[in-house]
Formats: sequence, structure tokens, C-alpha cells
Amino acid sequence: MSAAAQRRAAPLSRARRTALGLVLPLAALIAWELSARIGEVPSYLVAPSAIFATTWEMLASGELWQHTRVSLLRALGGYAIGGACGIAMGLLAGIARPVERFYDPVVSLTYPVPKIVVLPILIAWLGAGDASKIAVITAAVFYPTFINSLYGAKGVNRLYVWSARNMGAGPLRVFAKVILPAALPQVLAGLRIGLALAFIVMVACEMQNSRSGLGHLIITAEDSLRFDLMYAAIVAIAIIGFAGDRLLLWLRRRALAGQAIGKEGAHG
Amino acid sequence: MALLEVRELDKVFRRGARAVQAIDRFSLSVEEGEFVAIVGPSGCGKSTFLHILGGFEPHDGGTMLLNGAPVRGPGPDRGMLFQEFALYPWRSVIGNVAWGLEVQGKPKAERIAAAERYLKLVGLSAFRDAYPAELSGGMKQRVALARVLAFEPRILLMDEPFGALDAQTRELMQEELNAIWQETRNTVLFVTHDIDEAIYLADRVVVFTARPGRIKDEIRIGLERPRRADVRKSAEYMAYRNRVWDSLRAEVLKAREEFK
Repeated sequence: MSAAAQRRAAPLSRARRTALGLVLPLAALIAWELSARIGEVPSYLVAPSAIFATTWEMLASGELWQHTRVSLLRALGGYAIGGACGIAMGLLAGIARPVERFYDPVVSLTYPVPKIVVLPILIAWLGAGDASKIAVITAAVFYPTFINSLYGAKGVNRLYVWSARNMGAGPLRVFAKVILPAALPQVLAGLRIGLALAFIVMVACEMQNSRSGLGHLIITAEDSLRFDLMYAAIVAIAIIGFAGDRLLLWLRRRALAGQAIGKEGAHG
Repeated sequence: MALLEVRELDKVFRRGARAVQAIDRFSLSVEEGEFVAIVGPSGCGKSTFLHILGGFEPHDGGTMLLNGAPVRGPGPDRGMLFQEFALYPWRSVIGNVAWGLEVQGKPKAERIAAAERYLKLVGLSAFRDAYPAELSGGMKQRVALARVLAFEPRILLMDEPFGALDAQTRELMQEELNAIWQETRNTVLFVTHDIDEAIYLADRVVVFTARPGRIKDEIRIGLERPRRADVRKSAEYMAYRNRVWDSLRAEVLKAREEFK
């Protein structure tokens, strides 16, 4: 960050930055609540206070937590498997040209296909339980982590590798101590995109075929015109998604001590 | 026998059917403790020569002997210093300097002690826990120098190490390198396009021809050591400068002609 940019950024304290980010959502909430009370909104725009009450009720009864737990298990299961495979294969493809050539046509061809379309096939194969949903989430998470890890490893400054080899480091040490940390910022960027996709695909799977989970809750609430219930589920999805993303960003700050310097601007 | 013996080195770059002779039967020997600078027009193959010597690029003919043994692949007996520093941004300054010793499997206490010693030599003890991103260009190159010195190579290969620095910083870094060399007496092969830098630092200046690179001239620099900064104002220095520039000028013009 240049000195000038630092001067401009400095006066905004942490508290003020947080406050600034809250202005828009709070204003929207207040406007929404007011118009609901005056009665000028259709029935599917339930007042925020009513959504809050329902959410609270469902939390107290344990029902919301039940669905959230099931959904989280699916999303995180697929996230862990897809992320691990994506990182391992992506880094390998990034350092070995033949591996990249081997995967490239398949990855390029299947990347744009929405992964949810294979759910029926996977249900036929793995059954309608958690396994088929986890498999679809795994596939969805794999692509962004694979592609980001691939380009992270490919883009490592040649001189980093040269200077390590100059000191006598062998291929394994170069990989573990140079390629891996140098590619880490982009690997983490892939994991961040993957996390959002995991939640999106999780909800999509549950809306299509499930007897539990937050997506299932949304569909049944919509069918029975219980819009307060639907919003409660949406709020739960938003909260776990947000918490997951913040956790990743916090981990990123820890992991990238030296590399994040001067790039902390937006979210680093 | 000299510490480094390069004989009849050839390098050809091939792209499809096109072949460009980058280095043509280049021979050079460097004595233990000698500081040799290589100057030449840009694109003459002087950096390529250093990369070959570092073991990062293959060559097409000739032999390279370091301390009597043929050079094969990269190794810690030759310490490379790059123009772009190549410090690891995820490691602190001390972590960067100690890394070469870590690779060599030295115990932690020993490598930290050695790293601290070399950080002191380059005058950056106060920045041991800083990250590279927090340092200026000159400081980064001093850390890179400490990192290379710390694993004690037989010869230092410096590839335009001050080329990315501004003019004032570059001049100060030259003085600092001179003082450090006075203390360590390393054998150095220093590639640059800056005549003043070459004369001020080196015992011998080798002039490369325009491509294909071969030796055009060798000028022994008899300026007394230790060299103070104001040696650059002396008549003796100016005479060396004219001598090197006369030799180099024709090659720079030739190289420019080729790019037209």
C-alpha cells in the first residue's frame, strides 16, 4: 500500500468500518418492517419482526437446529472431500505439465455444467440419502479449488524455485516449502469460492429431493404458504454461510502473515 | 588451478527451425577471492551465462569446472543473487536468511545464530522479524545478500543485483557491497550493464561482445583497496572508465543495430 493510500485509509477506525457496512441492511430492514406494519406489502413479504419471532421459536424447539445440522453435515462433507481432491490434483497439475494435459479436456468440458443435473443419476446409483447429495457438493467444490490451485502452482515465481534449488533443496522440499506457500493465496481463494458453492448446491439438492435440511424446510414452507418459516430457513443459511466465510478469512489472515501485507484493503 | 574454469562454453537458443547462438566459445577463469565483473550490451548473453553457471539452464558445449569438479545442476557451492531479490514473502527476514541453512539440515539454534550474524553484516539486525513486503528495495537486496552469504557458497553469482534499485540507492549499495567484500573476501562473478559499478567493485572487468556473446576485452582494475566512495572522482578511475567504455561502445551500437 502506498503512503498516500495509507493516509486515506487510516482515519476509518474498525468500528466505523463496521458501522458503515450496517447502514444499508439496517435501512432496508426498517423500511421493510414499517411497510409491513402499515399493511402495504403482499403476504409473502412477512414482517422482519415476525420472521425473527418464528426463527426464535424454531430455535427454542430445536427444529431449526435439526435441519441446520443435517444440512451442515452434507455441505461440509462434500466441501472437505471436494476441496482436498481439488487442491491435491490442482497443485499436481500445476507443477507437472503432463498431468495438466491429462485433466484439461475433461475439466474444461464439465466445468460449465451445473452439477445439480447429475443428482438424479447419483440418486439412482447411491440412493436418495446423504451420499448422493454429498457427491454432488463434492463435484461442485472440486472445480474452483482445482482451477485455483492449478493456476496458483503454475504462477509461482520461477526465481523462488531457482533460489531454493540453488541452496540444494530437492523436489519434495521445493514443493512443500516453496510451491505450497507461494500458491496458498490462490488456493485459499478457490476454497472461498468453493464454500459458497457448497452451500448453494446443498440447498439446491435439498430442494429437489430430501426429507430434511434447510432446503427441504424452504420447499415445504413455500408449499404450505408458511413464508415466515421460509425466511427463517433463509436466515439460517445466510448466517452459516457468512460465519463460514468469515472463518475462512480469519484463517487466511493467519496463514498469509507476510503475503497479506499491503493487500488487506477489502477483506484480507 | 583457478577456482572457476570455464572453457569454450557454447549456448544456442532454438525455437522451431530458428537457432540463435547466444554464447560463442566463451572462456573465463576466476581465482579464489577475486571479484570479476562482466559488462556487455543488453541481450549479449551475460545473464544467460550466469544462469548456465548456476545450473538452471543447459549449455550446448564446453566445460565448467568449479574447484576442479564439473558443474552439474544447481547447488549450494554457487550462491545466486537475482535482480528481483526472490525473497519468500511468507517468511520473515530472519526466516529467509536462515532458509539455506535449514535446507542443509543445520540445527535450529545454529542457523538462527548464523542468520543473525549475516543480518548484522548487512546492517539489518533491527528488521529480523519484519516481512519482505515491509522493506524497501535496497533493504530487500541486502536480505537476499545475507541469505546467500549465510550458506557459504564457494562463489557468488550476482545477476545485475542492483538493477532494480533507484540510482542513489544503487550507489549506496555498491559502497556497502564493497565494504562487505572487504570483510568476507568472497569470490564473486558480477554481471551488470553499469560500467561504474563494474569498475568500482571489481578486480577485473570482462567485456562481452554483442550477440553471440564472447570475450571482447579484459581490463584489470588496479585501484587500491579498500576503495572509498570518492575513488570515483580520481583521474585513475576516469581513465579506466574511458578504457571500458571505448571497448563497450562499439558492441552497444552493434546490439542496437540488430534490434532495428
